[in-house]
Amino acid sequence: MKETKLGDFEETLLLIVGILGEEAYAFKIAEEFEDQLERSVSIGAVHSTLNRLGEKGFLTSEMGAPTAERGGRRKRIYEITAEGQRVLKNSRDIKLSLWSQFPAFADLKFNLG
Amino acid sequence: MKVHPPKYAVHFLTFFLKQELQEEVLGDLEEAFYFNRKKYSPRKARWLYWYQVLNYLRPFAIKNFSSPQIYPVMLSHNIKISFRTLVKNKTYSLINILGLAIGITVSILIGLWVMDEYSYNKNHEHYDRIVQVMRKDVATEGIYINSSMVGGLGVELNEKFSHYFEYTALTFFRPSEQVLSVDENSFEEMGYFFQPDITHILSLPMLEGSRNALQNPSNVIISKSFADKVFSSENAIGKTINLNANVDLIVGGVFRDLPNNSTFGDASFFISQALIYNDENPYVWNNYNMKLFALLKPNVSIEDASLAIKDVMEPYRDEWWSDQRELFLLPMKDWNLNSTFENGIQVASQKVQFIRLFTLIGLVILLIGCINFMNLNTAQYQTRGKEVGIRKTLGSVRSSVASQFLVESFMYVFGALVVSIVLVYLLLPGFNEISGKEVTLPWMYPEFWLASIFFSLIVSLIAGSYPAFFLSSFNPIEAIKGKLKKGGKNVRFRQILVVFQFSISIFLIIGTITIHEQINHAKTRSMGYEKEGLLTIRGRNAEFAEKAELLREELRKTGVVDEVAFSNYPLTNTLGNNGGFSVEGSTEINNETFNTIYVTPEYGATTKWELVAGRDFSREFGNEINSIILSESGVAQLGLTNPVGTELIAHNNTFNDQSNFTIVGVVKDMIKGSPFSNPVPLMLFPNVSTNRRGYMFIRLRPDIPYGESIVSVQESFHSVLPDHPFYAHFADDQYLAKFKSEEQTGTLATLFSSLAILISCMGLFGLSAFMVTQRVKEIGIRKVLGASVTNLWLMLSRDFARLVTISCLVALPVAFYVMNLWLQNYEFRIPLYWWIFAAGAVSCLLVTMLTVSYHSIRASLANPVDSLKTE
Repeated sequence: MKETKLGDFEETLLLIVGILGEEAYAFKIAEEFEDQLERSVSIGAVHSTLNRLGEKGFLTSEMGAPTAERGGRRKRIYEITAEGQRVLKNSRDIKLSLWSQFPAFADLKFNLG
Repeated sequence: MKVHPPKYAVHFLTFFLKQELQEEVLGDLEEAFYFNRKKYSPRKARWLYWYQVLNYLRPFAIKNFSSPQIYPVMLSHNIKISFRTLVKNKTYSLINILGLAIGITVSILIGLWVMDEYSYNKNHEHYDRIVQVMRKDVATEGIYINSSMVGGLGVELNEKFSHYFEYTALTFFRPSEQVLSVDENSFEEMGYFFQPDITHILSLPMLEGSRNALQNPSNVIISKSFADKVFSSENAIGKTINLNANVDLIVGGVFRDLPNNSTFGDASFFISQALIYNDENPYVWNNYNMKLFALLKPNVSIEDASLAIKDVMEPYRDEWWSDQRELFLLPMKDWNLNSTFENGIQVASQKVQFIRLFTLIGLVILLIGCINFMNLNTAQYQTRGKEVGIRKTLGSVRSSVASQFLVESFMYVFGALVVSIVLVYLLLPGFNEISGKEVTLPWMYPEFWLASIFFSLIVSLIAGSYPAFFLSSFNPIEAIKGKLKKGGKNVRFRQILVVFQFSISIFLIIGTITIHEQINHAKTRSMGYEKEGLLTIRGRNAEFAEKAELLREELRKTGVVDEVAFSNYPLTNTLGNNGGFSVEGSTEINNETFNTIYVTPEYGATTKWELVAGRDFSREFGNEINSIILSESGVAQLGLTNPVGTELIAHNNTFNDQSNFTIVGVVKDMIKGSPFSNPVPLMLFPNVSTNRRGYMFIRLRPDIPYGESIVSVQESFHSVLPDHPFYAHFADDQYLAKFKSEEQTGTLATLFSSLAILISCMGLFGLSAFMVTQRVKEIGIRKVLGASVTNLWLMLSRDFARLVTISCLVALPVAFYVMNLWLQNYEFRIPLYWWIFAAGAVSCLLVTMLTVSYHSIRASLANPVDSLKTE
């Protein structure tokens, strides 16, 4: 049986895949990760995690069009599955519920649609 | 300037990365590289590329190196198909595998033999530093290299050149077997009289006692095998051994036997030279009766030491013999294979020539096996062609079709390798007997197995490349339709290969017959004496010579002996050479040498030589110290027409203290030296002293079985000399022993030529079977239309007969040339009889026709209905 829990790094990557849409391939994902989180990461590490997410059924992928800056090679574009959307939402719900119970931040107003 | 991702990083990545990830990952990393390139220096961008590559060393991305995934997927498929083909065509597979196996077996055997020759003497710890002192004489007639040395030189090198030589040791130039006795038992054993330091030079592996044991001249050191033979399990040290019924020696040490492939491998014992020279000084400067060995000091080069001793012998040179005399050192690595000199230059020795010849023959036999494989495979082009067609239609490229055939050939060769290793194991004892070696199969060495597998790979490439190339070239449409062209280059090429096979076979047959004829020719040549029923006994001590007359009388009393004679040399060599004779009345001194020996008056009656003119020596004439007898070639050498009564003068030496002699008789030439050489001119002097009687010859009565006679002879011998060992050799046995090397060549040549023709015929057998199956319908129709069996047989065999005839045309001139060259080695030789060539050609043709006829006659006899009913 496949592991269906979502780790922190996995969750972040899953989100970035969602953000990037058509441009969600390993190099872009790693770059976006470094930009947004200001943390460096290797493409290999990203690729490995994307691969794992694919095995868990949260991502699908297919080969996209070749581009010149890649030496004419195609890229693998990732896309979130329904199952992926569901675990993301689930994760956010749990976290929100936890945040709302946290007394120090209880007064704060969250506008998270 | 355009900057590229680092090349080695890319190579590394493609090496370990899974095939299916390569496109996207290479793309991502390249994109990242150009992205980084805009921000950083090229150096940093490259460094970052490396960083990214190394970060792909993760389990999900790395190829699974242990699973067959990395190998072409086709491999297992190829092996499966190969195996099926192998099982399907059992006859052809058997022919292929057997042919290759015989070839590989021969190659392995020859390989082991060659390795044995090249590892000669390597057992010695100081292999690199052991040298033999050699002498180079430059004379007007040429340059002579000799290993005989004077004893004085040994002492000189040891004392004055000790900064070059750690040890030196002299030994006698001609070692011979000695009789060692323990209690009642005596043994004729090979061993060496050496100066004591030989044990250090050879780093003799002592099992008991020390290497210094020979410092005491009354000690002997013996080999383990000899110790086991005479003392069985007892401790040998301190035991007494009697040498030549003369002196008692004490065993001072036991050494582990030296291996068979070393110069002193035959030594059962070493004894100090001082034992023999206990009161006279042998270390003189005018008697060349020694060999000199030495161990160089660790940091001395052979060149330096050679240079240092170069001129030591110059002052002792004989003016009449040479203009210049130099010494040099021969390193141990050259002793076995590179110690033959011609006019001062190292030339290939007979052994090296043998090694080259048989290596060549081994490879040729292997090639013949490979040719069978090529021919049988390409002959199957019609069936295999369909297979190739289907493969190609299903998308195989040519290289993958070719790889199928290469895998197939490797499977055959590997099968053959397994068979041949078993064969080598079984044949090795016989091979050792023929070649006189003690070679073992190096089971335990991984190098052997690696070499075998590497060798098989090469063989399978040679055997498989042509079929692979040819069969993979088919056009799939034509192949499947069965429209492949029949003839063309392929058939021609196959014919050339068959011609090659049979040329080799015919050549080998002719060579074998010639060798055997030549040996037989020498064996049956007229000897000048009767070798049957003639015994030789070598005297070992002074008592033997002193009691010679008594021995003769006692032996004659036994009734089994016709006559007894003594001489100072045996009948089996031509030692004792002297020159400087002139004919009375002429001032010219003949500059040739004669084989001069001393004989007792009954020598002629004992050996039964043939007197041509004059008379034999006889006791009637008393001490005829001025009489001599010459052989016919001796007479010819002096240029005499009427020899009997002619007087000769000896200028260099005296014989029986005389210088003037009268020729009283002439005898037919006696073959004492090599049976393949011209007779050596012989000059016989009467033996008048009690010395010079080292050899006794006994003529046994022909009407009494020799086995019985020998017993009486031994009894009588021991009644005179109770302690003297009794070793009697028949002259005809000793004569046959001289053919050892030639017999060896003959046996090996017979073996190899039969193998060559066997493999060739196996291939032809397969080919003819194919041909017959292909033409089976044609044969059927011809038969229905009235062709006779003979017609059909002729039609089917004609092609092969033609090929063998062409082979004859190729092989005969080559054989003539080569065998003529070989025969030039012998002074006494056969002419190249025409019938030898005819026999080679005809026998090959006959064997071929027999092989081919099996299939062609069977096809001709078959009922045409069977072959035509399917149409």
